[in-house]
Amino acid sequence: MKIKDAKKPSFPWFGMDIGGTLVKLVYFEPIDISAEEEQEEVESLKSIRKYLTSNVAYGSTGIRDTHLELKNHTLLGRRGNLHFIRFPTHDLPTFIQMGHDKNFSTLHTVLCATGGGAYKFEQEFRTIGNLQLHKKDELDCLVKGLLYIDSPSFNGQAECYYYENAMEPEKCRKMPYNLEDPYPLLVVNIGSGVSILAVYSKDNYKRVSGTSLGGGTFLGLCSLLTGCDSFEEALEMASKGDSTRADKLVKDIYGGHYERFDLPGWAVASSFGNMIHKEKRDAVSKEDLARATLVTITNNIGWIAKMCAVSEKIDRVVFVGNFLRVNTLSMKLLSDALKYWSHGQQKALFLEHEGYFGAVGALLGLLDVD
Amino acid sequence: MSAFPWFGMDIGGTLVKLVYFEPKDITAEEEQEEVENLKSIRKYLTSNVAYGSTGIRDVHLELKDLTLCGRKGNLHFIRFPTQDMSAFIQMGRDKHFSSLHTTLCATGGGAYKFEPDFREMADLQLLKLDELDCLIKGVLYIDSVKFNGHSECYYFENPTDPVQCQKKPYNLENPYPLLLVNIGSGVSILAVYSKDNYKRVTGTSLGGGTFLGLCCLLTGCSTFEEALEMATRGESTTVDKLVRDIYGGDYERFGLPGWAVASSFGNMMCKEKRESICKEDLARATLVTITNNIGSITRMCALNENIDRVVFVGNFLRINTLSMKLLAYAMDYWSKGQLKALFLEHEGYFGSVGALLELLNPT
Repeated sequence: MKIKDAKKPSFPWFGMDIGGTLVKLVYFEPIDISAEEEQEEVESLKSIRKYLTSNVAYGSTGIRDTHLELKNHTLLGRRGNLHFIRFPTHDLPTFIQMGHDKNFSTLHTVLCATGGGAYKFEQEFRTIGNLQLHKKDELDCLVKGLLYIDSPSFNGQAECYYYENAMEPEKCRKMPYNLEDPYPLLVVNIGSGVSILAVYSKDNYKRVSGTSLGGGTFLGLCSLLTGCDSFEEALEMASKGDSTRADKLVKDIYGGHYERFDLPGWAVASSFGNMIHKEKRDAVSKEDLARATLVTITNNIGWIAKMCAVSEKIDRVVFVGNFLRVNTLSMKLLSDALKYWSHGQQKALFLEHEGYFGAVGALLGLLDVD
Repeated sequence: MSAFPWFGMDIGGTLVKLVYFEPKDITAEEEQEEVENLKSIRKYLTSNVAYGSTGIRDVHLELKDLTLCGRKGNLHFIRFPTQDMSAFIQMGRDKHFSSLHTTLCATGGGAYKFEPDFREMADLQLLKLDELDCLIKGVLYIDSVKFNGHSECYYFENPTDPVQCQKKPYNLENPYPLLLVNIGSGVSILAVYSKDNYKRVTGTSLGGGTFLGLCCLLTGCSTFEEALEMATRGESTTVDKLVRDIYGGDYERFGLPGWAVASSFGNMMCKEKRESICKEDLARATLVTITNNIGSITRMCALNENIDRVVFVGNFLRINTLSMKLLAYAMDYWSKGQLKALFLEHEGYFGSVGALLELLNPT
């Protein structure tokens, strides 16, 4: 594509995805700034660039995922680094205030935003930050961002991967997957809630289904059951627990397998089903409860994904969204469940940039702005 | 013909369901020959409505004047927690049940799990039957004999309108194809094409046991009745994160109304919100979450299988009008009127009825 002649949007280039729990921000830091350009650069633009690239934490809750940085990346004819930043949606007012204090609106830049918050907070951006949001649909952005990020590859490595021998601790390996020929693809986006999309080509996708039992359910239930305060804490507890003390398995009911319908004894018959008994409630630990919550939510999503894959006749399922951030346990459970219940027909895939695709898609939306 | 007493037993993950046929056409001769312990079993079961501290006879479900295998009598419906199984087996031993040389037809996972206990403790041989075979047999039978002249099958008209909501009878004469959703401790979903042809489509482990287990943990309640009672008084929208909490309104592009739940329990990651809700809200949110998840999975199955009538059974729905109405509404709303949710009066007893039928008409 000839970018030279097209009118390029002015810096800074941001893409923002305001979700139910987290705001995901991608920022393009140009590294090919000519001496002339640098001289003309407005002070506030320079200070924004400096602030973002010389810190890895912002305020008390903002975080830049440096391990995800795409270095030396070409976008719209410019060369630069693509940065990935996140903070809780809860702190969006602080962010808007900061935009106001840094006179962001004087930069006359278009702020492309997606996610429900692009609609919910549109007015606040306008009245407090004097900023006009260019709203984009979250699923359009997700698909766009996903297809885009996979193509340049991740600093030379594969963006897409899967787990081999997911449930065997010694043999389990993370393997690269070539997503060159992606269609058709089932995309399962696990954020606060879950959306499931069938993608047939870069311009043709449909939202097949969804479930309200998502990442927000895991964290919400965990907080109630264990008193934990953060996603990281909940995951840590889950990694140390045993869910079979809270769940009622097929073998607890049958004394073994339910052979007639191929249900192995170790399969969960009733999630949290043992918690109806007082003695078992007294014997279970917070870690067991955290684990059971994780397993229940993860397996439910896996099951629904599997059913969608079957009905859409698609055998590759890619799981994205921040529920999977630092959550290898869920990724392995999904890999194993999908493989087992589909008798090896379906494959669970994952992407390194997990929850950032919506924001990337929004950034790419700068191209559509006139 | 099988000797009395005639029982059908379904030993589930949480409850044991027992159906007992009480003959009312006993001749003077038959009465004279009747063994003492058979008489005492009949007396014990029919003159009590509660057994021990946890056994209950659902009197309102009794089928009166039923003709079964040429005999006339009443069909009784009894339940007790699976946890009290050893007390039950012990009782069978004390009442010398094994001397009656009767076959005890049993289904459910417990028929396999407790088979050795029945044999060793009470010298009883169980005839084990598959739970889903029995479920279907039981459903088709009970619907055909009707419920003391009334319809066994019903649905809800205007399910979310508190004033206009009405329970209406449904004629299930032409039942096939049918999607049968059995909500016990866990859930099984069956597609039934004819009386001899069905398949287990799928299931989910988020069932009645999950509702009760989570409720006990979150609210400190200890029984199903208590959990339901709390749920009826609570408000789930403060616990759940709705589409409007994220979008500020509807998510129009994909037809998701603002009142739809985007993330169940999603507000509970926030400390101030956790402190502002009450136990009743948590019970309600648990009920709504489990029920809607079942509804959602059911809808996907109905679509895949091309079936537009769904019958929900199982003891999760016992005295649980809240869930029944939620399912009725969800099926109708999300399918744009294509799917119909149906319910049956004898809810969780069909497996045990199927087991009884196998005793009388062995296949």
